[in-house]
Amino acid sequence: MASSVSTSSHRHPHQHHHRPIALLILGWITIIFGIVLLAGGVWLIALGGSWYYAIAGLGLLATGVLLNMQNMAALWLYLVIWLGTLVWAWWEVGDEWWAQVPRMVAPTVLLIFILFAIPVLRRRRGHAE
Amino acid sequence: MTDWAMTNRVRIAMIAALAATPVWAQETTETDGDVIVVEPDNGVVVEDDSADAPVTEETAEDEADGPTLDEVEPGEEAIFVDDLEAEAEGDAAEPAAEDGPTLDEVEPGEDAIFVDDLGMDDEAADTATDEAPTLDEVEPGEDALFVDDLETATDDEPGAEATASEEESLDAVIDPAPETGETSEAPEDGPAATEPEPVFEVGADWPYWGGDADATRYSPLAQITPQNVEELVEVFSYQTGDMPTEVTEGTYSPETTPLKLGDDLLMCSAMNILISIDAATGEENWRFNPGVPPEAIPYGATCRGVSVYRDPDAGEGDLCATRVIQATLDAKLVAVDAETGLPCEDFGENGTVDLWQDIGERVPGWYAVTAPPAIVRGVVVTGAQVLDGQAEEAPSGVVRGYDALTGELAWAWDLAAPEEMRDGPPEGRVYTRGTPNMWTTAVADEELGYVYLPLGNSSVDYYGSNRSEAENEFSTSLVAVDATTGEEVWHFQTVRRDVWDYDLGSQPTLVDWQGTPAIILPSKQGDIYILDRATGEPLTPVGQLEDLPQGEIEPDYISDTQPYSVWHTLRKPPLEAKDAWGFTPIDQLWCRIQFHRANYEGYFTPPSADAPWIQYPGYNGGSDWGSVAVDVERGIIIANYNDIPNYNQLIEREDPYQTDEYTTIDEAPESVGSPADNEAGPQAGSPYAISVNAGWRSELTGMPCSSPPYGGIRAIDLETGETLWDRPLGTARRNGPFGIPSFLPLDIGTPNNGGSVVTASGLVFIGAATDNLFRAIDIETGETLWSVVLPAGGQANPVTYEVDGRQYVMISAMGHHFMETGVGDYMMAWALPE
Repeated sequence: MASSVSTSSHRHPHQHHHRPIALLILGWITIIFGIVLLAGGVWLIALGGSWYYAIAGLGLLATGVLLNMQNMAALWLYLVIWLGTLVWAWWEVGDEWWAQVPRMVAPTVLLIFILFAIPVLRRRRGHAE
Repeated sequence: MTDWAMTNRVRIAMIAALAATPVWAQETTETDGDVIVVEPDNGVVVEDDSADAPVTEETAEDEADGPTLDEVEPGEEAIFVDDLEAEAEGDAAEPAAEDGPTLDEVEPGEDAIFVDDLGMDDEAADTATDEAPTLDEVEPGEDALFVDDLETATDDEPGAEATASEEESLDAVIDPAPETGETSEAPEDGPAATEPEPVFEVGADWPYWGGDADATRYSPLAQITPQNVEELVEVFSYQTGDMPTEVTEGTYSPETTPLKLGDDLLMCSAMNILISIDAATGEENWRFNPGVPPEAIPYGATCRGVSVYRDPDAGEGDLCATRVIQATLDAKLVAVDAETGLPCEDFGENGTVDLWQDIGERVPGWYAVTAPPAIVRGVVVTGAQVLDGQAEEAPSGVVRGYDALTGELAWAWDLAAPEEMRDGPPEGRVYTRGTPNMWTTAVADEELGYVYLPLGNSSVDYYGSNRSEAENEFSTSLVAVDATTGEEVWHFQTVRRDVWDYDLGSQPTLVDWQGTPAIILPSKQGDIYILDRATGEPLTPVGQLEDLPQGEIEPDYISDTQPYSVWHTLRKPPLEAKDAWGFTPIDQLWCRIQFHRANYEGYFTPPSADAPWIQYPGYNGGSDWGSVAVDVERGIIIANYNDIPNYNQLIEREDPYQTDEYTTIDEAPESVGSPADNEAGPQAGSPYAISVNAGWRSELTGMPCSSPPYGGIRAIDLETGETLWDRPLGTARRNGPFGIPSFLPLDIGTPNNGGSVVTASGLVFIGAATDNLFRAIDIETGETLWSVVLPAGGQANPVTYEVDGRQYVMISAMGHHFMETGVGDYMMAWALPE
């Protein structure tokens, strides 16, 4: 999924001092989650389990990096991850709502935070333009 | 129908149902096409009440304030029950809430003694820790002890009141004997009666732990209906005063269900204090404390209930004409007068029979009774819980019958040497050690004179190569024993060579099934069998799983075939990786990794040491000690069940006879509950210790690694075995990650322990779940019509009864250490407003 990101945008590394602390925190949390999911996901693949976690972990890691760069691509990438998660979760457990809790709740909470970050991401982009 | 017809039908049904699923999946879903055999003697099952019990620190040398047994001279005879007056000024007069009771106030010279009061804790603590003679050490003839209680002393004159009220209070209705209609006494030549005795009738009374003599948990009462149940109001909440002390904290799981007879409720507390209270008001009539020491607590401080016996030849008002009989954690059979609480002096030694006799070395907590005894034709039948996971050389699982009037041994059924041990072991011997035990409740059949014993597994639970043939033959079987002779009549095995701790935990229920006197047998792996009571032949089809995995630990021992019920099972389809759960993808991932690391080939996956293995359902069932209720009028079985795996692993030990880092209970007899320093059950005498993660809980969150629901309740058509409705039992209100209550009123379906009651009006009453709710469910729809929050977990079977035309429903709210539902000492009653 990470590879499906097509909307890469321009980078202006010299703007660091404008990045709000909240965005950095969100970015780092996303990175940490991504690393944990990636590591555990690779272990799971080695055990013969689902590939979802490693892929999602990789995507989260990339999303976190993009967030830290105040790059709008973070949003698009994460939307792809979230939609992919939705499809995967539905395919796995359908309308078993309790089974959807671990699959959709946390990713959706993260989606909401990233949506809240849109103004910040936009500012960065606007500034760049 | 004939066996042949059933066989064919089964075969056809199974073949038809056969799908291209993996072999083990077929097996576990019961649709195996290879299945064919319908055989009476197959069967097998599971167990364990006692898993890895959380243990408390047992150190506390509690210098309790209370007085105690030390002060009582063992040699004195004593006994008592109060004399009211005396007590009235002494402790009795003190407010109940105070703790220090007191022997001090008793005159030393007097023989007697005691009291008790709510200051239980002190007493319990003392008996436990000090050098004072504990009951074990006291000669039976001398012991004495007792209690009595405050309420009585303060409110009325207990003594006087007790005797005066005898006549009216035990006016329980007695049915004529099923066949003869006559009561008969024991023949001169033997302690046991050989003719059916009358049974108590359920209705206004709740005279047996299982409701009626058949253990249906069905009440003909119908005042509370689906239409008015919402109007229920609490009538009283009685507190036993039996709460954990520092020493016993974390071990309480009282699971108590009272009996109701005449005007009284008769019950035991967690530590076996016998109590009678007024069924309409909750006022205490009397109490009797047998003085069980804390170290006698096995897996948990539990007393599921008591039994009553009426002497057919006694006159009204004779002492002990109606007696309350319980078996205790410190393995004593105790009989007291139902009216006064006075010990029945003709029963054993002053009302007490020592069950440790001929068992072997006394190791408190290793051999304990938590279930009410069954009484059939004047014979009191009891087994005992043998603490799991300790050693091959565990106390015997012998089941014994005692004369209900004299307490004399009527017979012993030692499955490994039934003839030799029938009248007790020969001089210098003990009953065969390590044999399968009966920790749960048997059911008595006055008509046939049989008692049906649901046996557990052999010690040790998860390794079997060194078991004897007799153990293999009987472990996890239902056994019919003739209560007049002590001889086995038939047995039905539900798990062959059980290495899963799949003990039979439920009390079976007697019914008339399609014209045949039958017995319904629920099991921990969820299968429900219906057998012919007289022969043990299955009346419903029994299938056979074949080519089961045999594992690497003891492939020659593990059975590659197992029986299962084609008729009905509570078991759900096998787990899959996607069933791993959590709150976030991270903890779900962790559980998913654990799933893939474990060996899992369906519910008969053999134990393994190279990696953990998943056992699903776990040893809590399926159906556990709460058993099923049967609405005999509507023809509906109500079964609540657990739906949760265990995550287990064998741990190899260098020298099987060394327990090295593991302490077995005989090496730590003073421990309260299982020895605390073990990370695994020692299983001494086998090459492996056993680590059990009951409920497969995540190390990260404390929540189960498997997806909800974790427990449910269902209605099953008694004729066809079809499910009428099935729903999760228990809301998420008290559960959440890291032990934080979520307060969500959603029916997540929690683990549950404790059964239900069904009423003629179409209501099912049940607590059991870990949400601490007590609720009424519509038997037709499964819908919850009423619920109330209990002050502690309702892990007990409820009851319903009537006094002066008013119907009450009652459950104990006492919590459960293993279910983590708090602790309390409440016996609560509800009724419609007057």
